[in-house]
Amino acid sequence: MSDNSKDTEKIASVSILRKRWKKFKTIKRGYYSFLLILFLYILSFLLPLFIGRDALIVKYNGEYSFPIFKYYSAESLGQDLQGEANYRLLKKQYKEEDKGNWVLLPLYPYGPNENLLDEMGGNPPHPPSAQHWCGTDDRGRDVFARLAHGFNIGLSFSIIVTLLTYVIGIAIGAVLGFYGGKIDIFGLRLIEIWGTLPFLFVIIIISSIIQPNFLLLIFILTLFGWIGIVYYIRGEFYREKARDYVSAAVSMGARNSKIIFSHILPNSLTPVISFAPFAIVANIFSLVSLDFLGFGLPPPTPSWGQLMQQGLSNIDNWWLIVTPLVAMFFTLLTIVFIGEAIREAFDPKIYSRLR
Amino acid sequence: MEKKKLFEIKNIRTYFFVEATDKQISEDSIKQDPRLKELYESDKYLKGKVPAKAVDNVSFNIYEGEVLGIVGESGSGKSVTAYSITRLIPDPPGKIVSGEVIYKGKDLLKLTFDEMKEYRGKEIAMIFQEPMTSLNPVMKIGDQIMEVILNHEKISKEDAFKKATEMLELVGIPSPDKRMKDYPHQFSGGMRQRVMIAMALSCHPALLIADEPTTALDVTIQAQIIELMLRLKKEREEAAILLITHNLGVVAETCDRVIVMYGGKIQEIADVNALFETPLHPYTEGLLSSLPNPDKPKGKLRAIPGIIPHILELPKGCKFATRCEKVFEKCWETEPELIEKEDKHFVRCHLYS
Repeated sequence: MSDNSKDTEKIASVSILRKRWKKFKTIKRGYYSFLLILFLYILSFLLPLFIGRDALIVKYNGEYSFPIFKYYSAESLGQDLQGEANYRLLKKQYKEEDKGNWVLLPLYPYGPNENLLDEMGGNPPHPPSAQHWCGTDDRGRDVFARLAHGFNIGLSFSIIVTLLTYVIGIAIGAVLGFYGGKIDIFGLRLIEIWGTLPFLFVIIIISSIIQPNFLLLIFILTLFGWIGIVYYIRGEFYREKARDYVSAAVSMGARNSKIIFSHILPNSLTPVISFAPFAIVANIFSLVSLDFLGFGLPPPTPSWGQLMQQGLSNIDNWWLIVTPLVAMFFTLLTIVFIGEAIREAFDPKIYSRLR
Repeated sequence: MEKKKLFEIKNIRTYFFVEATDKQISEDSIKQDPRLKELYESDKYLKGKVPAKAVDNVSFNIYEGEVLGIVGESGSGKSVTAYSITRLIPDPPGKIVSGEVIYKGKDLLKLTFDEMKEYRGKEIAMIFQEPMTSLNPVMKIGDQIMEVILNHEKISKEDAFKKATEMLELVGIPSPDKRMKDYPHQFSGGMRQRVMIAMALSCHPALLIADEPTTALDVTIQAQIIELMLRLKKEREEAAILLITHNLGVVAETCDRVIVMYGGKIQEIADVNALFETPLHPYTEGLLSSLPNPDKPKGKLRAIPGIIPHILELPKGCKFATRCEKVFEKCWETEPELIEKEDKHFVRCHLYS
């Protein structure tokens, strides 16, 4: 008896969302892709600890300093250089001097925007080597460091854009779908007009006037990205508002806002949620293409599209094309795996047949 | 002692405007009706559409404390009548063309949506036919009951939770505080209908409209659900129940008065005993004789022949003329009036006029 009640306690109160999450977990490929991307993305916020030019800790004449947080001039650390200290050289120097001073460098001690021409000699781009895993680009910057930082920027960008477009798209779709009638007819026509604006030309025009930055690009992509969601949500609302539980809620005196947000909306999210990973993929892709065309993030920002652009103009230097492509391929692939798994987890029909 | 009127429903006409099949007929009938003519002139949407008269000139009173049954076949307009009282008519295509629902001196049909929501749930609550779909599948049971309470009462969430738990216990859900956190899919049909009743009664409404509350349920559960509705009614003395059903057994057991509807019109109103003992209208007779009689277990069941005609093709005279056994010439030409044949026993039939 007691076992029984324990069981029911366990079974009790499993929301549909949690059920789907459980099902999602059973789809291994998607679940592990999700964990991997999540891990890498969180890690990418701590990137300067692993990949960067600034030393983590420097001990000089018995004093500790933390260059990762603060600017130190070369002189103050006993280096014979102008401007900021070069910690890789500093490490060598301390070793040679052997006075008990030391430098703790990140695992991969090259920054994404750092020009390495002085140290490497020769003409950039340099091919991959043990120090520079993916070589350097045509300005002597380490490609691997740029790829890693570009991952963070690209993913953050597309997540923010996806969230914003979803909020706008869901709100507008909900209003159109719920109120219907004239609001729906005129709203949709306006949206169609807006949707026919050629997105790429608008971006080209805007970026020929002002240099786009991160926020402006998010703004522009959001401006054109919300339209697709509207149709999904509107359709879902049309279907859901005729359901019995909605009339039950009305008959109990619920407000319109309550009916929209706490009754219909949670029931209409399925297509939107399963669509989200693909939207993220699409947004990463648009950022890469904009960067590739030169209308994206301003120059020193590490970005994949910009690397590919370099690869195109230095077609002999294969690593400039292959590395960003491979990075992008695997990122998008994992996200698509997640999307597939989410779609499957939200699918009420279990794939089966009579045997 | 004369009972006090709780609700007065006067001349309600709820039409559904549908694509016309034969325009000539419709245009004539529209021109004859000033209210319809006005509607057609003001609303271009209605052009080329004909009114399907789902509820046509229905008037009745609901007295305090009574259980009023509405019976009739599918498509006779009983549900639409009830939905018209709470104005849950999907518009378009439906429209309450005219009529009044008087409650405490106010005409509910003239209120705006926002004013109306003060009455819904608090003064008029509904129980729907299909318990499997009338609860929100992604909301916890407790939250759904609490929502009704919080809509109408200014109390804290904790108090609302307590009250909702009490309601669940009252409708006979075991370990209610645990089940508050459950989702509808964890409940069976009968349990969900109990939850619906708990929701509907949580603000002690003056009128409970139950739209075939037991149709989708097991026979064993039906009696319990009906009993529950009746018992909870006692919380508010003047509260009345409007029970829509086609189960005459339920009517006989629970109702005080019965309205028999056919073709969107009231055909007979009577106290329940009078109706079962001396049914006046041939349609009522037909309904009653189609019930199995336990005293004569061997006889054949008698059914009313034919089916209810399409709503756009109802006869011009008596709506029941196409299926009536006692039909005569006059029935086809003029529609009989609803007359008081005996004390508080109204009937609409030419046999009595």
